[in-house]
Order: sequence, then structure tokens, then C-alpha cells
Amino acid sequence: MFNRMWRRYLAAVMAAVALCVSAACGSSVGASDVPVVPSDGDVTIRLDWWGGDSRVETTEKAVAAFEKLHPNIHVDMEYSDWTGYWDKLAVQSAGGNAPDVMQMDELYLAFYGSMGSLLDLNKASKYLDLDGMDSSLRSMGVVEGRQVAAPATTAQYGVIVNNAVLRELGLTLPDTDHWTWSEFADFAGQVTEKSGGRIIGSLAPNNGYALQLWARQHGDRLFDGNRIVIPPETLASFLKLPADWAVDGVEGSRERWSENSAAALNDSDFGKGRQAMMITQATMITPYAQAAGTDDMSIVPLPQIDPGSRTMYLKPGMYWSVSSQSQHPAEAAMLVDYLINDGGAGAILGTERGIPANDGIRRALAKDATGTDRKALAFIDKIRPTLGDAPSITPNGASELDKTIIRYQQDVVFGKRSAIDAAHAMIAELQESIDFAS
Amino acid sequence: MSSFTEFGALVKNRHRPKDKPTDTKVALGFLAPWLIGAFFLSLIPMLYSLAISFTKYNMIKPPRFVGLMNYRHMLADPRFLSSLQVTLTYVVVSVPLQLVAALALAVVLDRGMRGLSFYRSAFYLPSMLGGSVAVAVLWKMVFGSDGLFNAFLGFFGVDTSMSWIANPDTANWTLVALHVWQFGSPMVIFLAGLRQIPRELYEAASVDGAGKWRQFRSITLPMLSPIIFFNLVMSVINSFQTFTQAYVVSGGTGGPSDSTLFYTLYLYQQGFASLRMGYASALAWIMVLIVAALTGINFALSKFWVHYDD
Repeated sequence: MFNRMWRRYLAAVMAAVALCVSAACGSSVGASDVPVVPSDGDVTIRLDWWGGDSRVETTEKAVAAFEKLHPNIHVDMEYSDWTGYWDKLAVQSAGGNAPDVMQMDELYLAFYGSMGSLLDLNKASKYLDLDGMDSSLRSMGVVEGRQVAAPATTAQYGVIVNNAVLRELGLTLPDTDHWTWSEFADFAGQVTEKSGGRIIGSLAPNNGYALQLWARQHGDRLFDGNRIVIPPETLASFLKLPADWAVDGVEGSRERWSENSAAALNDSDFGKGRQAMMITQATMITPYAQAAGTDDMSIVPLPQIDPGSRTMYLKPGMYWSVSSQSQHPAEAAMLVDYLINDGGAGAILGTERGIPANDGIRRALAKDATGTDRKALAFIDKIRPTLGDAPSITPNGASELDKTIIRYQQDVVFGKRSAIDAAHAMIAELQESIDFAS
Repeated sequence: MSSFTEFGALVKNRHRPKDKPTDTKVALGFLAPWLIGAFFLSLIPMLYSLAISFTKYNMIKPPRFVGLMNYRHMLADPRFLSSLQVTLTYVVVSVPLQLVAALALAVVLDRGMRGLSFYRSAFYLPSMLGGSVAVAVLWKMVFGSDGLFNAFLGFFGVDTSMSWIANPDTANWTLVALHVWQFGSPMVIFLAGLRQIPRELYEAASVDGAGKWRQFRSITLPMLSPIIFFNLVMSVINSFQTFTQAYVVSGGTGGPSDSTLFYTLYLYQQGFASLRMGYASALAWIMVLIVAALTGINFALSKFWVHYDD
């Protein structure tokens, strides 16, 4: 009578009960107060991340090298896909069974940081050096005054261009160093028109990072601490972008935008070589080039409303965090230090997680890199003049930001409501969720 | 649930002389695996979820009692209402369509033809695959812009690159089609039921000059009504709890534009993505009440159209 889902739900609740009983529910929260000193004997710590096959391969290799350097430390590795990772981490944290070292994302950092689940890395500064990175980047790992995460990589937004497609259509990219959104849309529209819709120009951006940048270009901000401070008009213009571009011909049609926004990389138009430009993170250039079967891709700066203004910022791509309940915080900190600061680890890990936060490692990689990897690593130097201050991180309760944006954009694209109504509703929904969580 | 009643009867009758005392113990021994499962995996979690539906609980901080807040929040939650609407539309449309398809095929197959068992298995196959992730992934491809369905339309000169999954006006209908396609298990039950109808009735009717359609309406339908009723009740309950298909086809979002946001999917999102476990539990209990009410309505209406022989 109960279907699978219902059973799974029950099992999860059951697990929570069992864990609560065994951990005397409530006392499992908070720091373990284990002193941050290395132990003398053998130690096993757990490392957990989300990601695909290539990440598994490189991380296992780096960890093996770490174990060789520290023969008394053994690292147990776990990994899952994005959604499964957060489901699992929530249940593990509830049971006081979180991994010692975990990969963290900006969307979830405030939640785990404010729950007291993450170690203040300043306590482990003897074993973990965070001075190799830009201070504005480092500040994006701080929650409520504690350094609860170490940025591992940065993600810079730009426009990846498939030059092979443009050449085939006989089109030349305009001057991209100082281009505006209307120049971008005009050019993208030409691509769709000239190819008769077979190849589309681009797709409107649809996530929190893009929205943050959009707000900054308008002279606004998305969050201020726990408040959503973006003006509804600015948000409305962002939510309306996919609808406008579907009409302008940039995206082909609204269904094409909608289908692409749910597609995996290999199934997307850009991944199939049927799209000229993609607004996304610089490091995506290599996987997209592989999927589309061309190495003639380049990365150019994001269009701006006021070209050249300081609206970009260094966003951490991924972080490493240490559990506050770790029994071996010193060893966990050593592993994080190794993963972000060691030259050997940097060479093994490459740019698979993004551009290394440690600038020395980034420069070392850029020197030896070839092809699209080299372009991604060099991109930061290109946008450096437009880098501004770091914004507030996504507050606790707004972890579903990306999905929420897509949902409201779809409402506007398919005419379910006007952009300004959608903006008001989205601000109300997110603010309610943040207030509920805090 | 009938095992619950049997278990109750067993305990109540334990002093009856007709059962030897050892029988009860043996019976309890055989029932033990089920009892343990029902108690620890169903009953306790259910009661626990009822308890946490009155709390604010994010799985990390201990639950905090908030009274009826979660239930009140539903009234002001537009996504709760839209998920309810999506689910009810799905149930109301797909259940009758599926039962009609199952019954029609059962009647055809019941005529007795060569290779019957092959057809029976072939038609049953989708039911075994239907709830699986693989078929949902397949569905996503069939109704995508490059999909089989558009290629099929191409045969008839309809040239379209419409993505049926990506448009909120059609996305739910692809899931309805997926549900109807799994007519196999009610069909098998209908087939068994058709075999139970005495052949004399048809012979007598044809002697009286009744045509095939008249025979179907006046003999098959009334005689089969208890089976139809059983299938109806089970289908309504099952389709209300549909999760996997919507989760896979929409990539877990219930999109586009919440058009495939089934109730269970919304419940899952609230519990495991937004970490509002208290609210998710309240949603689960409201679902129990809705399913119970639908089943109650079905039973109440059944006396007007279900005929039992005895």
C-alpha cells in the first residue's frame, strides 16, 4: 500500500529517531571540544565530496599522495552526486556523524555554519594556512565571525564562445572587452537568424551567481546579511531576460530555453555544438569543449551595463570545511591544507573543481597548461580590473535560490505572471524562508 | 492492513478453547518478522512524524514545539495549493483513462486468441518497468525536442521541435501518458475477473437477442464491478503517491513552472532540500487524510454501482 517514496521517507525519519535516541538528540549539536593537536598514533579521517568520475579519480590520487606524506593518517573517501550529497550530509549531521572533511558550497555554507556544525578554522591555523588567497575571497568563508570554510577554488563568470560555430556561419565576434548586454543580444540574435534556428545565439542566465552579478551591475546588491535587498525592478528585469531573449531570437524559443535549463551538460545545445555563446563559469570551457567536440573555444568577459565598472567579484567555487564534531581536527586541517596549498596536490587536482584559490598554484598551473585549460586559468587576469568587493554570502534559508530563480523565470517565460509580480512573489518567498530558518 | 485485523483477532481469541495455546505462540512466531517491521519501520516512524509535524525541525537542531504553525502555514502557501491541484488533475485524468485502457484490452484478450500468454506478458511489461528510474529517463527523451514523439508526429507531416517536457502546459500530460501506459496490472486483474463470469449468462443473453455491446453493458460491467472497484481504489491511492516519474522527468524540481510538482515531490523538497522536516511531516499527514477521504468517498459511492453476487 505504501509506495517506495513513502517508505523512503519513513525510513529517513526512522533513521533520525534512531540517531536521536542513540545520540541523545540535541546533545549531538555543537563542537566536540577536542583540542586541535595531532595525535601520536594512527588516525582515520573521513572525506566527502560531490562530483563526477573525473573528480573521484583526481581526488583519490591526491589523497594517496597525502597518505604517503603522513603515514599515520588514513583517509576514508565517500562521494555522491550533488542532490544526494546534501540529503546525506543533513542526515549525517543530524546524527553527529558528519565526515571530518567535507566539500562545501556557498549556498549551504550559512546553514551549516550557523548551526555550529563546522569548525572555526582559525583554531587550526597552525596546520592550515589561508594566506595564499585573496582576502576578499577568504572573507567569503566567514559565517557569524567564524572562518568555517576554506575556499578551495574560485569561479569567474564569463562568456564561453564556440568559435568553430561562428566561423561556420561567417560571423565575427564584436569587441568583447567593453561590450554591453544589448550588443551581446544583437550578436546572439544574428547567430540564430543566420543559421535558421539550427544554432542558437545564447541562453539567458538562470542562477544565483548570475543574479548577484546582475544586481551589482545595476548598482544594487542581492543580500545584506539576512535581508533580501535587491529592488523588485532589478529582479524583474533579470526574471524577464529569458522571455525577452526568446522573443528576440537569441534563444530560439522559450521551450528551448526551458529544456536547456534542465539539461545535463552533454544534452545541452552548447554541449552539442548547437549554440554559439554560453554565459557560465570560466572552468566549464574544457568540459564543454570536450562535449561539443572542438578545441576552438575561448572565454571573454561578461557584458556589462556600464562596461569596465567594478562589478565582478571572486566567488568561491567550492570550499573545504571541517566538522565541528571531528575527533581529529588537526589531521583534518592538515588534509585541507594539503588539498589547497600543496603544489603537488595542485598539479594532480588541476582545474577540475575550478580555478585554485591559492594564487601561487593557479600561476604554476597556468604556466604549464595548454588549450582551453590555459584560457580558463588566464581569464582571472583579464577581469581583474573589474573586480570589486565581496558581497554577503547566501543566507541560511536561501539554499534553494537557484531552483527558485528558474521557477519564477519559467512563470514569466510562459506567461503565468508578469515579471514584476514574479519579482515581488520571489522576494516574499525567499524572505519568508530566510526568516523561518533563522 | 488486513494483517493488523488478523493479528487483532489472534490476540483477542487467545483464550478460546478451539485454539490450542501453542498455536497462538507458533502463529505469533511466524508473524514476528512482519510485526517487527510494522512496528519499527511503519508505526513508530509514523507516530514520530505526527509528533514532529507540530514542531520546527531542520534535522540538526533539536525539534521545537510550535503547535499548529505548520498546518496554518499550508493555507498561506501557494505552492502547496498548486501541488495539490497538479496531483488531483493527474489522479482524476489518469486513473479513469488507465482503467478504461486496461478493461478494453482485457476484454479483447479474454476472447481467447493464439499467443494469448505472449500478449498478456507483453502488455504487463510496462507495469513492471513503469515506476523505475530508467523508464522515466526514457520518457524524458521520448517527449524532448529531439524525441521519438516528434519523429512520430513527423510521419504525419507535423513538423515540430516542441519539447513536451519543457512546456508547463504539456509536461503533466506526458506523465499522465506514462501512467496510462502502465495499464498492465489492472488488466491482469480484470482478465482474472472476466474468467469468473459464468458463460451461461452470455449464452442466455444472445438467445434473447442481445448484441455484443448490450452484453458488455448488462453482464460484463455489473459482474465485474467489484473488480473495477478494487482497481479504482488501488489506482487512486497509488497515483496520489506518484513520485519517481515526476522527480526524474523534472530533475527533482517539479518544473517547468511547477507543472509537475506532485504532492509527494513537494513534500520531499520541503523535507530534504529546504530542511523543513516539521512542515514536510505535516504535509505527509494531510496527504494521509486526503487519501483516506478519497477512499472513503469511493466506498460511499460504491453502493450505487458495485454489485456483489451474494
